[in-house]
Amino acid sequence: MCRTKLLILITALAVPTLSFASGAQEADSAPSSISYWNVFDPAISQDGERHVEKYDEYEENTGIEVDNDIQVYGDLRQRLIVSNQAQDGPDIQHMLGEWVYEMSQMGMLVDITERVEAWEHADSFPDSAWNVATVDGQIYGIPSVASARTLVYREDVFEENGISAPPETWEELREVARELTMDTDDDGEIDQYGFAFASSSDAIRGPQEFAVHLWSTGGNFVTEDGDGWTVGFTEDQAEQVFQFYYDLMHVDESVPPYSLGWEYQELDDAFEAGSVMMTQNGRWMRNRAERTEHGESWQTAPYPYHSEPATYLEVKVEGLNVHGTSPDAAWDFLTWLMDRDNLVYISQTDNLPARTDSSDSEYWVDDPTWTGTFVDVVPDGRSMPPISMGAIFDYSMEYVQEVLYERMEPAEAAEGFYESVESYLEQSVN
Amino acid sequence: MNAKSQYWGHYLYLLPLFIVVLLMNIYPFLEGLRLSVFSENLLRPLDDHFVGFGNFVRLFTQEPLFIKTLVNSLIFTVVSVFFEYLCGLGSALLLSSRRVRMTNGLKAIVLLPWAVPIAVNALIWRFMLSPNFGFINQLLHQFGISGALTINWLNSIGLAMGVVIFVNVWRSFPFFTITLSAGLSTIPRNLYEAAEVDGAGPLRRFVHITVPGLKNISLVIVVFHLIWTFINFDVIYLLTAGGPLRSTEVLPTLLYEYAFTRFEIGYAASIGVFLFLVLSLTVGPVYTRLSSTETRS
Repeated sequence: MCRTKLLILITALAVPTLSFASGAQEADSAPSSISYWNVFDPAISQDGERHVEKYDEYEENTGIEVDNDIQVYGDLRQRLIVSNQAQDGPDIQHMLGEWVYEMSQMGMLVDITERVEAWEHADSFPDSAWNVATVDGQIYGIPSVASARTLVYREDVFEENGISAPPETWEELREVARELTMDTDDDGEIDQYGFAFASSSDAIRGPQEFAVHLWSTGGNFVTEDGDGWTVGFTEDQAEQVFQFYYDLMHVDESVPPYSLGWEYQELDDAFEAGSVMMTQNGRWMRNRAERTEHGESWQTAPYPYHSEPATYLEVKVEGLNVHGTSPDAAWDFLTWLMDRDNLVYISQTDNLPARTDSSDSEYWVDDPTWTGTFVDVVPDGRSMPPISMGAIFDYSMEYVQEVLYERMEPAEAAEGFYESVESYLEQSVN
Repeated sequence: MNAKSQYWGHYLYLLPLFIVVLLMNIYPFLEGLRLSVFSENLLRPLDDHFVGFGNFVRLFTQEPLFIKTLVNSLIFTVVSVFFEYLCGLGSALLLSSRRVRMTNGLKAIVLLPWAVPIAVNALIWRFMLSPNFGFINQLLHQFGISGALTINWLNSIGLAMGVVIFVNVWRSFPFFTITLSAGLSTIPRNLYEAAEVDGAGPLRRFVHITVPGLKNISLVIVVFHLIWTFINFDVIYLLTAGGPLRSTEVLPTLLYEYAFTRFEIGYAASIGVFLFLVLSLTVGPVYTRLSSTETRS
């Protein structure tokens, strides 16, 4: 009796264990699917739809299904980190460029240097893009898209107000923003604002916009010297940036007072709804332009600068996760997807493909607004440094908020920001 | 076969459950304790080293946000649970009243906020509270309130904590309603009738019959909600992420920041252990003492 019970128990425990083990073995030898964690959502983006088309095409050609797991960026990053701690992860993962450093340090990414060196199309990607995917000389992913930020503005409203050209400098931006801020329905309340920016304490876009402003003063978040990393800006440069935010909000009153704490969703919604006339924005706005009544009058121009032109060149990277079960199959799929025509096909409305030969593709659309400007500003593009930037991003938004909530003067915020970055580098980076 | 060996067979059947509990509860708990005494940074996996109580010393003596987040956590917890109980008791009394009809339908409606996933709740409220386009501001604007469209509920330093507490109360009080309704149904009706015959008014009946009758169940749900609210992360994170300017930052969101922004897993774990100790040393003994007093009486 007792033996029978014991036998049942052992069988109950052993069956799932054995089936799990055999499943894992099967995945190693001949994968029927590849897991791909990304953000390409067909529900909100045409490029997302094209991604799904390509995955289906790949399955038809090879019999390998692409298990497409879509999340928003914040969730994707957190899930990757947690999964890695649990020794789990997808075959392929999509990443923002600034994640590559921290995820490589966590041991999450496969070093694909040798695979890239043997890949015939590696030279079709610019060095600046490979640099984002490289840490200490090792390559941890393929840079799929590289897209800059520009000024996105309402040309129709500019014309209505007699403004013939987009602003080129911060001073001109402030002037135009003031002119466009008005009460359009005469109810005594301002309902149209000239400009808006992201300032959420949990922002993704906010620190990127801040970075462009800082670069535009000639500063950097951090710079590398022989022994490590040092603060890359002066307090004067930071003060100029904080003063710019303060002036727009409190002196000119040309940004919505209720925009304090906006993330990119609120910012892009406001532009689409017609309550904001200019934003610093990316090529994904083309998706919104195509579905909006006044979308045809949306225009793009290089983002206004302070002392030197600058833009954020956002490189996104596709990497192989060390916990993936089929690295060879994942690499085959990834290089197929990064083929010129495929990459251009899936990069029509969001970001620009990172390949330098993209314009030779039959799918390349030479649109001056949504392609031309974004290509033109690439020489002014900068990327984030290869260190963990999370804390510095947090500081930047914290001090922007201190200024916008009028709890600190710009000079005071600049001093605090400088000291915070310096302290972080000393304690956590160097 | 003797009785002893028969029992061993029974215990064997419990083994899978025991293994699951061990893996799902005990192991993460012990791992959290272990991490809290190590300096462990995900970006420097080779630099991990034992620091004893170093993380706790840092938390108590060097963490600039410790006092602020502790105070915010206490405010969020106590005020939330107070209003959850108040709203829950009020609605339970209303739904238990003989004068109210269609109580089953009303109970279903009251339960709705609790039945909807937290993430959906939070997103709905974010949309409703957003300035300019949000439903709340549009409604206030329709009522002629000047400047209503510009009220930035979730990004105003003075309003954010109140709004976060309101949303938390809104989504949690139905649990109190249902539990207290069940408690009310166990109080014998003849006690109220006898009290009424003796001339006791509604207030006296409430104080002397309803309150003692609900004491046990109230104790349980208040204690559990104090624990759940003190360690609650999702409501605040999804609504404000601790902002603006840390005005809604609580210990769980601070823990998250250290774990997922700075990757200081050891230090983050020490915040988690501190949360556990606070609850163990405050709410735990209170609950045990009140429970034993109640049992004796």
